Amino acid sequence: MALEHVAQGQTRFFTPGVAPDPRGILLGRYCVMTFPTLEGAVSWFRLYSSEAALDELLSNLTITKCKTALGSREIVVQIPAVSSYAADRAARLCRLVGGAIYTGTAKHFVKYRDDRSPYGYDAVDIGTMPATTDFMVHGDEFAQGYLREGDLPFGRLLFRLSIRKLPGGEHLDAEDRADLFLAVARGLSEGIIRYLWRNRVEAQAGLFTPGASSAFDDHSRDRGYMLIRVRALPERILALFLGTPGIDVFRPAGASAAVAVGYQHPIDLASCSSVFPGDTFHVFWPGDRVDVLPGPIALSDIADLTRVDLELDRPKDPRPHGGGPIESIGVELKLAAAMGPPRRVVATLIALEHGSRLKRILFALPPVSLRGHRVAVTERGILVIGSENLDVIPLGQLLCELTPGLLVPLGMDVVPRVSAEVLARALGHQAGVVTVFTTVGRPFQIGEGSFSSLERRSLAKLEVQQVFVEDFGAEPAAEAQVINDAVGRFALWGFPDAPDRKLLPPGK
Amino acid sequence: MARTHVRDFLSRFVRPLVAGGEVHIGSPIPADDVDRWDHELGDATVELVAVDEARHAVVSTLVCRPPAFVLDVDELALAAGLHNALFLVHPRAEEWSVSDRVRREIIDTALAQVGRPLTHNRTRVIARHALLHNLFHLTRRDTTVSWWTGRARFQGQTPSRRLTSWKNLRRVREEFTDVGFDELLAVPDTAPVVATLLRRTPLTQLLDSHPGAPPLHWEDAVFLLRDAELARAVAYRLVPDAAPRDQITGPARLAAAFEQMLERTPDEADVRAVAAFLVHLAALFCFGELGLREPGAKSPLISTVLAAEAAGQRPRGLVTLFALSGALAAVDPRIATPPGIAALPALAARWLVHRAQTAELLGDAVIDALAARLRRHLRFAPRDPSDAVTLPDPAAPAA
Repeated sequence: MALEHVAQGQTRFFTPGVAPDPRGILLGRYCVMTFPTLEGAVSWFRLYSSEAALDELLSNLTITKCKTALGSREIVVQIPAVSSYAADRAARLCRLVGGAIYTGTAKHFVKYRDDRSPYGYDAVDIGTMPATTDFMVHGDEFAQGYLREGDLPFGRLLFRLSIRKLPGGEHLDAEDRADLFLAVARGLSEGIIRYLWRNRVEAQAGLFTPGASSAFDDHSRDRGYMLIRVRALPERILALFLGTPGIDVFRPAGASAAVAVGYQHPIDLASCSSVFPGDTFHVFWPGDRVDVLPGPIALSDIADLTRVDLELDRPKDPRPHGGGPIESIGVELKLAAAMGPPRRVVATLIALEHGSRLKRILFALPPVSLRGHRVAVTERGILVIGSENLDVIPLGQLLCELTPGLLVPLGMDVVPRVSAEVLARALGHQAGVVTVFTTVGRPFQIGEGSFSSLERRSLAKLEVQQVFVEDFGAEPAAEAQVINDAVGRFALWGFPDAPDRKLLPPGK
Repeated sequence: MARTHVRDFLSRFVRPLVAGGEVHIGSPIPADDVDRWDHELGDATVELVAVDEARHAVVSTLVCRPPAFVLDVDELALAAGLHNALFLVHPRAEEWSVSDRVRREIIDTALAQVGRPLTHNRTRVIARHALLHNLFHLTRRDTTVSWWTGRARFQGQTPSRRLTSWKNLRRVREEFTDVGFDELLAVPDTAPVVATLLRRTPLTQLLDSHPGAPPLHWEDAVFLLRDAELARAVAYRLVPDAAPRDQITGPARLAAAFEQMLERTPDEADVRAVAAFLVHLAALFCFGELGLREPGAKSPLISTVLAAEAAGQRPRGLVTLFALSGALAAVDPRIATPPGIAALPALAARWLVHRAQTAELLGDAVIDALAARLRRHLRFAPRDPSDAVTLPDPAAPAA
């Protein structure tokens, strides 16, 4: 049997069902690992789960007991080759525990890459496979056929393994104590809850009964217990709980399982959480006991579970209090001399007969002073509102602003001095409306849409000539289209020989 | 056979070939006609000036001061050879009455016409490119006319009015198909002519290409990289402001040609020039990302084109293009980084991001393999500072 080293950039292989991945490494759809014993396979799972997630492999993972043509038996683990990085990790760990790894897709699996051939191996003389073999692996010096004898589902393997006692595993640091589960016997639950609440430990509790595994179980005996989830459990309380009969402490392993404190499952349960059905929660007890609780577990805050003392013989009725109607206290609004410092002038109300003076001032003012001013002509006068200080127009009644859009004469104030919001509500003043108080007559309102720019209003309409822009860019080239002209029947008549006939080999 | 004047050839074939329009293909042109046309050029000043002005407009987007062009027998022969190659896909040349011997004579004539000497002269290279810049974009509109009792196909010809009249009564239907370079000039008869022709215009091969075109032979084109203005024009044309896959198409093509070059025995200076040019193209990718909102963010261009899930769609040469800088760093660090990149701190930062991302996506094995191939050609020997620089002796004055 001969294996060839795969070269960089090689795309064609003798082995069926393999192809180069983006790094150029030969890879099939699956990797197959062979172990002489089941312990080797378990060791591989243990190592792999501690380094990476088994979940990504579980969709196509199979564990098979196989027999060779010579009658020896081996355990074959087949995983999907999701990437060459995952396959590299699997290969490294497989060789570490004494196994061998191959890659392929269906029947033929060839040795996965190693240090001697970084792009992998290709089996050059693949012959016909005997009918009695299910698949064949091609190694350095051999080709081995295998016959499948039986499958071992990964889930069953997981639950057959016993959790192991960890030396010093009861001592948890603060990070490990951040989230723990307590399984408390029914008789102790009320006291434990009160104890936790008194010590200000954040916890939630729920009552659970494990699913019956046998029809011969004693259903009259209540096997349920209180499951309490505690956060940041102090170390002294943890030590107390670990030493108290009837209380068992568990550490969560993923979202669907918990393992007793001081013990560890050989396979990291957090890396294979997809094995557990979504509606279950598995509790791994010492002594190979596994409780399957209905999940996801729903718990209630223990603050609501503490004992409540009722005194039904002394009722506490609410005492009614009465109220009266609102009395009318309306006061008429007036303008009065302002008490505070003078405000900024933001508008002016110019009598209509002073319009010609306003025009002359507009001609005299620089453009900067006109910018941003708005004007509206009303029957009460010409109202000019400025964006900045408007005292550049020495005409009319200067107005200052109480609240946005509410204008009063300069040096005056509205009495009674209510807040601007109350005043606006009383006047029906709102956004988009300008309300003007004048010294004579009632206040009036005008919509913002009636204003136009003073700059634009002061200009007459001009005629502007449109000019065109010259484009100096290169014109895009037109498409060149071949047109075959009619050349007549004798176009090739008398076509001379080429001057140099050595350019092409002679014709047939 | 009626003798065609060069005036007709210029106005009906050469000018539309350069400026666009209808490129008319007539009877094949014998070698003697080209010699005769060389003498007739003086009588076709109007057409000649029109062609030269069109060529001037074409290269005005490439170089600042296009050289003055005057069409001569060299370019006439190239155009005649292309005309004869296009005649080989003329429907008249595919009739039963045209024997293999005649077709071979036409091919031989076309090969002799396009087999002009290779040139490194800047003006002539630009002039040839201006003449043939549309080579990959020549199209032909074929019309299939079907009526109630039959159908006929017209290749680059207008169907007879007799066939298309009474459309409703005779149930006439016309279907149009546009064929391009691969059916016109990449067929077995025309391919050797086009390959010979393209070697004569390396600038066209650098600037443009077609999947069916022969690959670039870097040894023919590397002298253009030593002309800074042309090299810059090529670089900017190859990295357009477009989608990531369009941006890398041209550079990947040149990198694939570089891979082929490494399999031959090129001059070391040529390998250095091409490698430095490809590194410069990689720097242009960084330059295009200076406006990214986060200066240290991963390159969206590299993430798109080197993504593992799109590995099957990578064009040839793409891996070499991006791995080249890393490989050169191990072989000859002087050309692994474009000169002056440190002058722009933002550009230098993007350059480091690109290199790290490329190494992450391609892996060290690919870069090391390319470095090993480069080592066969580049012998990095730092100059001994104790060596005295000697200048050649001045030539002795003529007696």
